[in-house]
Amino acid sequence: MNIIEIKNLSKVYDAKTIPVYALNGINLAFSEGEFTSIVGPSGSGKTTMLNLLGGLDSPTGGEIMIDNTDITGLKSRQLIDFRLRNIGFVFQSFNLIPVLTAKENVEFIMQLQGVNKEQRDRRTFELLKSVGLNDKVNTRPNKLSGGQQQRVAVARALASKPKFILADEPTANLDSKSAENLLEIMEKLNKEEHITFIFSTHDARVVAKARRVITLEDGKIVGDVSKN
Amino acid sequence: MNDFRLAWRNIWRNKRRTLLTAASIFLAIFLALIVRSIQTGWFDNLITISIQSYTGHIQIHKKGYWDDKDINNSMVFNDSLMTLVRTTKNVDKTVPRLEYFALSSYGKQTKAVMLAGTDPGREDALTHLSRKVIKGKYLDIRGNGILVSQGLASFLGLATGDTLVLLGQGFHGVSAAGKFPVSGIIHIPSPQLDNQMVYMNLTTAQDFFSAENRITSLSVTLKNPDEINTTVTDLKDKTGTGKYEIMRWDEIMVEIMQQLKIKTAGGMIIIAILYMIVGFGIFGTVIMMTNERTKEFGVMVSVGMQKTRLAFILVLEMLFIGLTGTLAGVVAAMPIMVYFNIYPVHLWGSMAQAFISFGIEPLMPLAIKPGFIVSNVITVLVIVLLTCIYPIRKAVKLRVVESLHK
Ligand SMILES: Nc1ncnc2c1ncn2[C@@H]1O[C@H](COP(=O)(O)OP(=O)(O)OP(=O)(O)O)[C@@H](O)[C@H]1O
Ligand SMILES: [Mg+2]
Repeated sequence: MNIIEIKNLSKVYDAKTIPVYALNGINLAFSEGEFTSIVGPSGSGKTTMLNLLGGLDSPTGGEIMIDNTDITGLKSRQLIDFRLRNIGFVFQSFNLIPVLTAKENVEFIMQLQGVNKEQRDRRTFELLKSVGLNDKVNTRPNKLSGGQQQRVAVARALASKPKFILADEPTANLDSKSAENLLEIMEKLNKEEHITFIFSTHDARVVAKARRVITLEDGKIVGDVSKN
Repeated sequence: MNDFRLAWRNIWRNKRRTLLTAASIFLAIFLALIVRSIQTGWFDNLITISIQSYTGHIQIHKKGYWDDKDINNSMVFNDSLMTLVRTTKNVDKTVPRLEYFALSSYGKQTKAVMLAGTDPGREDALTHLSRKVIKGKYLDIRGNGILVSQGLASFLGLATGDTLVLLGQGFHGVSAAGKFPVSGIIHIPSPQLDNQMVYMNLTTAQDFFSAENRITSLSVTLKNPDEINTTVTDLKDKTGTGKYEIMRWDEIMVEIMQQLKIKTAGGMIIIAILYMIVGFGIFGTVIMMTNERTKEFGVMVSVGMQKTRLAFILVLEMLFIGLTGTLAGVVAAMPIMVYFNIYPVHLWGSMAQAFISFGIEPLMPLAIKPGFIVSNVITVLVIVLLTCIYPIRKAVKLRVVESLHK
């Protein structure tokens, strides 16, 4: 079953002067349980696409159906709420909230969702365990390595029980060992818990782990390969 | 982790900045409170002096007297009016007076004087007039001896035992003339009054002005001055409308009140400048606190925090800083105000003499009034909230994608 369907999606920057087609008439579908990498040269539109998929930015044209909701038609408040309940984010530069501990960072989203304390505690513990950080529960981000921070970020993204997780170059700021470790955790979550991951990357080793690779060039899809 | 704890932790990310901001607020409110306390204490004293030296808390006149202080606007003073006033709740002391201008003459000198006929006993009870006597004796209930103020006496070359000639116009235009022995010389701290006052028995004055049983004013002091409005209303109810005008001290002492208002305004301007400086300091802090965290705001909104909630947290952060500073300021100023309220500063020199002559202890207590404390606290909090417009706007107008790129 498709969880995301993109129709004729385009994003034009600087439409008034010299238009830049960051995305140009994209049609795509993503189904549950995917482990998909978006690749392409710098400036090809990867970040733009992930931002649109995540409802962080609005397209110039086209529609994005997520579970039968066209998110391009949502109002700002509704969109924020939609993100909270449906989409997990992992950012390139980790972006944890610095004043919160690992546990509190993971809990943060569940609190926004209004999950009760007991459930929060249980799930936070499970999640941190699943990313191998059960000994860093009360540590603040500045006392964690980049790899550890990114694993907390993955746990945070999972906390809301999202339909899918978007990650824009999640390994770009990590050393190769941490990158590999992070990928393993993501793979494990994908295999064991059927979490859908869509991530962009420039790293060939990361691409190698993906089961589907979508290639962008100049805002257009030039390749879409699935392997089993 | 609720919003309050998040806000609390956020303000301690930069301890130095938070403490400096809170300290500036602390200092502003501390200074403002002390200044207001001294000013209010001083003004209260001045007002007390005026009330106790002459006007009383309330004055009752015939309607229209205040606008035209003519003897023809005097009123009949009888037992029924007296009883009516004296039985009113909260009324403490009363003094009936008949006041009007007359011409004084001694030897070759003449001068216009303010003649006040009064009840010697009641006058002394309210204004301690007898303590102002520097030569001779105070008024006697019997006899037509008069008290002459020092400035006037020296102008005319008068001494106790001399006889002063007074001329004037009495009630209904009857001409008034009389000779009065000077029984005492008084010193009045106000130079203006000291140059023109003559006191005599009420009955003597009534005879002189052919105004039998008439007075121009009835001064009233209150047991509890704070309830003046209730008492005024009571008196108005009792005396009925139309016949009398019942005035509060602040309506009578218009000039003094005006001067005090100007001085208060002066103090307020200094405080306002202080607050403005502090306000800009707070604004600087809020700008820094907001701008250095734009990316973090982007993350929070990305993952699902509503912008209004983000704005709320930012306001909380500023309120925490503001409240910490404000509270510390009030807490620090309080003991000083309380101490000098209970143990007032002792005045010295001529100032002290003036107080003593009014029958007031020469003390200068600091005032503590919930009014100015509350208004200063509110002012600071309003300033803090005004500076919050900036982060609120930033939060509400946040563009997620752009902020993530910061
Ligand atoms: N805010 C913007 N204003 C104008 N042009 C933009 C903006 N953001 C992106 N672009 C342009 O849109 C195109 C796609 O950019 P995008 O960031 O999506 O590329 P990318 O594939 O993520 O590149 P990279 O691999 O370097 O991250 C580029 O030509 C870029 O210059
Ligand atoms: Mg990119």
